[in-house]
Amino acid sequence: MNYLELISHVLPEIAVLVTALVLIGMGCAGGSRGGGKAVLAVTAAGLGLALAAVVFGPESGRLLEGMIVVDALTRLFKAVLLALTLGTALFLFPGGEAGGNEGRGAENSALLLLALLGLLVVVGTENLLLLFVGLELASLALYLMVVFAAPAGRPAEAALRYFFFGSVAAAFLLFGFSFIYGATGSIDLRVIAKVLAAHPVEPILPLGVGLALVGFGFKVAAVPFHLWAPDVYQSAPAPAAGFIASASKVAGFFIVAKVLVLGFGVVEGSADWGAFAMGWAPLVAVLAALSMVVGNLAALAQQSVRRLLAYSGIGHSGFILTALVAANAEAVRAVLFYSVIYGVASLAAFGVAGCVLRARGADRLEDFAGLGRTAPAAAGVLALALLSLAGLPPLVGFFGKFQLFAAALSGGTPGTVPGLLWLVALALLMSAVSLYYYLRVLKQVFFAPAPADAAPTRDTSAGTAVCLVCGSVLVLLGLFPSLVLQPLQRALVQLF
Amino acid sequence: MTETATLFLALALIPLPPLAAAAVLLFMPGRLRRPAGAIAVVAQALALFASGTVLVRVVAGGDGFREVLNFTWFQLGAETVVPLGLLVDATNAPVLLMVSLVGLLVFIYSIAYMGGDPRAVRFFCFLSFFSAAMLGLLVANSLLLLFICWELVGLASYLLIGFWFQKPAAARAARKAFIVTRIGDLGLFLGMIWLYREAGTLLFYDGGAGVLETAVLGGLAAGAAGGMTAATAIALLLFIGAAGKSGQVPFHVWLPDAMEGPTPVSALIHAATMVAAGVFLVARAYPLFEASATALSVVAWVGAATALLGACIAVAQREIKRILAYSTVSQLGFMMLSLGVGGPVAALFHLLAHAFFKALLFLGAGSVSHGCGEEKDVLRMGGLGRRMPLTFACYGIGMMALAGFPFFFSGFWSKEAILHAAQAWPVSPGPFWIALAATFLTAFYMSRQMLLVFFGRARSEAAAQAHESPRLMTAPLVILAALSVLPLVVATPAWPWFEALVRGGEAQWALSRLLAPEVWPLLAGSILLVGAGVGLAWWIYHPGRREAAGRDPLEDRLGAGHRVLAEELYWDRTYDFTVVRACRWSGRLAAALDRWIWGGAVALAAALARLFSALADRLDRRGLNHGFDLGCAGLRAGGIGLHRAHRGQLHFLLTTLGVGAVGLLLLLAWL
Repeated sequence: MNYLELISHVLPEIAVLVTALVLIGMGCAGGSRGGGKAVLAVTAAGLGLALAAVVFGPESGRLLEGMIVVDALTRLFKAVLLALTLGTALFLFPGGEAGGNEGRGAENSALLLLALLGLLVVVGTENLLLLFVGLELASLALYLMVVFAAPAGRPAEAALRYFFFGSVAAAFLLFGFSFIYGATGSIDLRVIAKVLAAHPVEPILPLGVGLALVGFGFKVAAVPFHLWAPDVYQSAPAPAAGFIASASKVAGFFIVAKVLVLGFGVVEGSADWGAFAMGWAPLVAVLAALSMVVGNLAALAQQSVRRLLAYSGIGHSGFILTALVAANAEAVRAVLFYSVIYGVASLAAFGVAGCVLRARGADRLEDFAGLGRTAPAAAGVLALALLSLAGLPPLVGFFGKFQLFAAALSGGTPGTVPGLLWLVALALLMSAVSLYYYLRVLKQVFFAPAPADAAPTRDTSAGTAVCLVCGSVLVLLGLFPSLVLQPLQRALVQLF
Repeated sequence: MTETATLFLALALIPLPPLAAAAVLLFMPGRLRRPAGAIAVVAQALALFASGTVLVRVVAGGDGFREVLNFTWFQLGAETVVPLGLLVDATNAPVLLMVSLVGLLVFIYSIAYMGGDPRAVRFFCFLSFFSAAMLGLLVANSLLLLFICWELVGLASYLLIGFWFQKPAAARAARKAFIVTRIGDLGLFLGMIWLYREAGTLLFYDGGAGVLETAVLGGLAAGAAGGMTAATAIALLLFIGAAGKSGQVPFHVWLPDAMEGPTPVSALIHAATMVAAGVFLVARAYPLFEASATALSVVAWVGAATALLGACIAVAQREIKRILAYSTVSQLGFMMLSLGVGGPVAALFHLLAHAFFKALLFLGAGSVSHGCGEEKDVLRMGGLGRRMPLTFACYGIGMMALAGFPFFFSGFWSKEAILHAAQAWPVSPGPFWIALAATFLTAFYMSRQMLLVFFGRARSEAAAQAHESPRLMTAPLVILAALSVLPLVVATPAWPWFEALVRGGEAQWALSRLLAPEVWPLLAGSILLVGAGVGLAWWIYHPGRREAAGRDPLEDRLGAGHRVLAEELYWDRTYDFTVVRACRWSGRLAAALDRWIWGGAVALAAALARLFSALADRLDRRGLNHGFDLGCAGLRAGGIGLHRAHRGQLHFLLTTLGVGAVGLLLLLAWL
């Protein structure tokens, strides 16, 4: 290995980092005054370069004992993360005049890119230590993004809460990794898998995996590690919340699936009804069940739409973890597919929520009244996003959920009752519940009359464009899911 | 690009422009009525151009030309692949051209007809959507894709029949059309599932493995279940769907009511294109039907019954569009009859010819009622020939084509081909005689309509002051009139070019074939029948007669029989007394069960869920949030002392994490 090779494999990360540094420089030089168009241009250019580096870069490679991994799957997900980040950046500008963020768009954008850098590192590594570093880098940037826009008050409080939770969860994660290292003598996932396959499992290992699950549970907002999420989603600026709900969650599920299935497939155990066996599967199944029940039921009682989306996100973590319990190639494909489309739908929903928030000053359900008349495009996109989250055909959410549940039922011997039927039945029930609260929002949007004094709901053209792109992606993928499923399938074949 | 790739590009470009136009118009503000019409027309013209190139390619392709392009729609698991495909051959290429051409003309007509409607933008959106779905249906190489488009055209039909939903009759007609065709669709759906179970694929052609290819058909014809082969059962189920869409007895009841929609809709959807989808489905799946003699017999007899019943009822109707609607039912019966007796080419040609002249008649009827103050009753018209000369001329051509006037009209030759096929059917002579009777009745009721509307004296104020319609409305009439005459050259027995195109082979020009012993007696006989029909109509309705306005002279001559026909054989009322009433009672029963038994259970579950969600929310908001609010207020107030006082809250918050972790580990230990 020479340095040129190393650089060529991390070129996307380098592009993002350099862009972030340039942005910080621009911020110092006062470059983000005047609407922030220059900042947006630099951000978009940096992301475009990084995307080009992903697309035209090396197709595979494994450097420094798994610290840097490039294969079809990591490239696909790096591209997805870059696209979601670009969407977030377009939401940030030039709507950045809201809150106390005026004139500091460059710093805000730099934070976004640093968070992205962390996520790219997370996606592109099979080394537990680098994984941890990447997660921390992303988390630190996200804490700041949550608090960045507002002068004081709730966002600060939410950010602080996020920070405390994050630090403690990170401690659990690191503690868990140290046990894993103790049990297997390696922090390289591939080596760990080999060691586990060859030697009897040390009793200390499940302890390590269990502790790591606490950290991962925090990252994907699974019950009971979810308590930060509602406040953060509600208080953070809508683009930041959108980023946390989309890109950050996509990376979270990617790494959970990769670590558990690839590294610890041997100690899966079993979550089949009546035949629980020790391993991570029963733990994940419990997290999934709790998340589905608590997330979906608590969402019923919400008045704030962003808070509702937060609880719905918790519920969706439960749905996704349900499939992960099955732990085969099909399940991983379903998990990754669903996390991507969940990210797209969330980004669109938060984009519209932010637009309503700016126009009417709050995001209670009543504030969405009459949106269908005052802003038909935004209302249409919101409807697409929510109905996709609810899983109605022909939107892609239906297909994603179908894949999740089919994957969860696919394990086990043919002809017998699938062991995970209990979990899938619960998921179906909760899915039906979720339709109720999504429709509550849409009822306000389309059937309640707009208040007479409602300010016109106008979003920036960039924000509207992102919303429309997300909406069309949801429809297009619903009609032709193969557009994403086939590349994903090909990428996974290389992995397994 | 290779030739095949260009072909498929053109094929894909047929449904896409109308679809894009529909998407654009959906978001268009309602006041932009003129641009909306222009967008729809341009998109339709693009579709027409693409259809034209495809047809040219098919004609150039010669014998048995067929190209398929299959692609994966999505994949389930490792093996289950759901493919879709596009297909072009001599069966669908002419129909594609017809649909896009009639569509274009109707779109242009609609600019004038619907221009004043406040919801014209929405109207063009729906029309474009319909056109896209219909064209998609035609290019499908998969029963699944066909079924999807089939449902979409049903939806478009529902939306357009009920376009003036403020009229209760229109709303009711839309519902009726949707429900009745849905019953047929259920048959199609079941047939599709059965077919998939038997064949494992729904592609029509797939390099030897498609459902219409010999390998699969052989298997279908062999397996027997419940006294019939799988092929018979599947074909019959598909036919139920086709009968629903194409208004065959006993599903025909929705089609006359559908005339409550705007006239361009009646012309395009309920005369020329969508109602022919059922005929097209049978023609497309013809190899499957051929595998079962039983299914073909059913198709023939149902078609014959429909042809006769439709013609009988049309005799006694008074509304101008309703007469045409029953005539459509009758003509669709002719097509089905032709398919059933083994004449798919004749059926296809009649489909094309009928589309042109029936669209012409509907648009002409629209022009007539537009000209005399939205009057619809033919008995309150009269003498319009002088006041609307252009409409009169075009309508006359359409009428002669439909009635089967000899030699110069496409309808004559297509009907002749159908009669010929029916005569040659070895199973039974019944359908042939029924078809002859229907031919006679068709000539009679069309002459009746013609005489009542355009000849004699004006029988109402509005008819006396009628005026010719604007040029944007008459121009499509003229073009359609030309098309009702022109296509005849390609399908006479003297030069069977169309048959050669569909069946393969070379068409030879030979006038002598007209005088062949198996052709000319039938030719002469049907000309006599048409003459008899026209003569009878002239005898009863001749322009010089003196009768009270608003009274049909036929009423006195037929007596009670006329009443039965005018009431459309009491078909609707029978359904009301049986099917509808049974549905209503079972609905009441279900509602009672729902309210008292299931509802109670749901209410209980909902109460529990509400309790739980309130608890979860309160724990989160009051317990944690409130505590955290206090904690942060303290922090902001500054002072480590205050912080220490609230340390308990912070501890509690983070404790949840620890408790969660411990819970997980305990679970591990317990396992």
